[in-house]
Amino acid sequence: MDENKLKRTIGVDIGLEWTNYALVDIRGTILARDRFRTFDYPDLEPFVSNLCERLITFMEANGGYEHVRSVGISAPSANFKTGMIEYAPNLPWKGEVPLAAMVRDQLGLACAIGNDVYVMALCEKVYGSARGLKDFIVVSIRKKGIGSCFYSHGVPHTGAEGFAGEFGHICVVDGGRRCGCGKEGCLEIYASEDGCLETARELLASHSDSSVLRDCEELTLQVLTSAAEQGDAVALEAFRRTGEILGRALANYATIVDPESIILTESMSHVGDVLMKPLREAFERHVFHNIRNKVKIETSVLSDMERDVLGASALAWDVKEYSLFT
Amino acid sequence: MNQTVIKTRVVGVEISLDVTLYAIVDIRGEIIAEAELITSDYPDINNYVTALCEGILTLVEEHGGYETIRSVGISAPSGNYLTACMENSPNMPWKGVIPLAAMMRDRLGLAVSLSNNAHVVALAEHAFGSAHGMNDFIVVTLGHGVGSCFFSNGKVHLGIDGSGGEIGHTCILPEGRECGCGNRGCLEAYCSAKGILRTAHELLEESDSPSLMRTVEKLTPKVIADLCEEGDELAKETYRRTGYMLGWGLANYASILNPEAIIFTGGLVHAGKWLMEPTDRSFEEHVFHNIQQHVKLVPSLLDDRERNVLGASVLAWAVDEYSLFK
Repeated sequence: MDENKLKRTIGVDIGLEWTNYALVDIRGTILARDRFRTFDYPDLEPFVSNLCERLITFMEANGGYEHVRSVGISAPSANFKTGMIEYAPNLPWKGEVPLAAMVRDQLGLACAIGNDVYVMALCEKVYGSARGLKDFIVVSIRKKGIGSCFYSHGVPHTGAEGFAGEFGHICVVDGGRRCGCGKEGCLEIYASEDGCLETARELLASHSDSSVLRDCEELTLQVLTSAAEQGDAVALEAFRRTGEILGRALANYATIVDPESIILTESMSHVGDVLMKPLREAFERHVFHNIRNKVKIETSVLSDMERDVLGASALAWDVKEYSLFT
Repeated sequence: MNQTVIKTRVVGVEISLDVTLYAIVDIRGEIIAEAELITSDYPDINNYVTALCEGILTLVEEHGGYETIRSVGISAPSGNYLTACMENSPNMPWKGVIPLAAMMRDRLGLAVSLSNNAHVVALAEHAFGSAHGMNDFIVVTLGHGVGSCFFSNGKVHLGIDGSGGEIGHTCILPEGRECGCGNRGCLEAYCSAKGILRTAHELLEESDSPSLMRTVEKLTPKVIADLCEEGDELAKETYRRTGYMLGWGLANYASILNPEAIIFTGGLVHAGKWLMEPTDRSFEEHVFHNIQQHVKLVPSLLDDRERNVLGASVLAWAVDEYSLFK
């Protein structure tokens, strides 16, 4: 076999709505991609069979199975060390799911699996804003949750059991809003997209100030952002409060880790100055003085559409090659 | 042909505000000999370095000779491992950035490595103490300040500037007590020796309830712990509040790091269960549910006097050998 052709990997991103997959070459070019709905397969076995059948057809249609080195999978609650998805609260498959082994057995290719946030950080390291950095933090701020991963000496910190980086569940307000995890005052219940919208609703309910937000049909992040950009006082205050809490929490994170850079990704990272200004201001005010004005806070250069499959394809290089036939 | 001799001894130095302790330590962590000098006798750094180097040379000549010593490790307040300097220590008489390791190396003709107390304590715990065999753990020092150091993937994490682990200066209450660092609401403002005394005074002012704390001549954390033993309710409440804040701050730390254990060192640890029980309770209440009951919170088993010089001796092994004569 021509060894030079073994230069591609498959990246799979299992999300709560869609499962995306892509064929990626060694330089990070996405050669082809496709997707299907995750929740069409509430049972595990049919999900894996469907995924593997689709991947085989996909590989054959795009240059051939024999040019694919390995497969990387990004999934919520996945553990690189065990190769399993472990007690994912939002996925339909319960308990411990040995997904990497199942996919390997059906495809005949080595398979690596990683937690979605580790995969995201890996992608930033290999192809994105963290290229060349050794100590950095990646924080993903989404609709409902906040996840993070940091690198120490150029390798991801996974913790003793692989659960590290639960930044969304640090307690920022003692006795504050109740979080889905059962505790009170978690960061993500204030600073995720929904948390920020909740703050805006609270402000509308507790003040009688006029605001364009009172007339909108549905309060979304876009509506809130454009209102703030037009100078709406309530919208600006909502972002100010969110930025204050997020900036303070990031300052605590940075005080512990002393990173070169903090990279923000996904929904809230695109809001712009109305959030970033109060966030940076709070960050510098709360961070330990030795590192004040030294830590960069930036928005990822990668597209949210690409990051997960690209990261998963990079993860695929981290497993030893495997073949049924040798 | 040069005969190669593997040297099996190093010198460990611990510089604290009052006393500098230095010891010859062999490869197995046996303290061969030790001596000390009074730090505060030397307000001028040059005189201090001269005295310390003379002291070390005298000690090694009396115990096996200069040629048996491989290198020197120093634990110093505000010591930075990466620059080998003491950087702007707020409490020491020597101001600014002091290249202590270079000054010592030039006078001793031996390689010198330097770092801060928390790093050195973590090295001691990893090599000879409770963290032996662990890859991911946190060491917390509770004394005049609240410091910490953590290991990631079996290696110490220092951060990009060498100032990681400043858990004492993470913000717990945004509008809380003023801290010596200039910020507000730092963990250290509540859980250091000074913080405990402040809590005790607040409690005494809050209520008229009788307490032996009102009658003692000089209130110290140790006195308060002794009063707990005698059943004084306000003394117990002082430690209960301290433990609550400490448990909360450490829970946030652990949610991010997922450590195997948190090891406590420093003078305040001697309060024993009066501090540890409320800390433990608050920790489990605030930590992310995946790691609830998974993290061991344990006091250090090493002797206070030995821990720092042992850790400094581990640090000495980390530096390349150096000789004026080759």
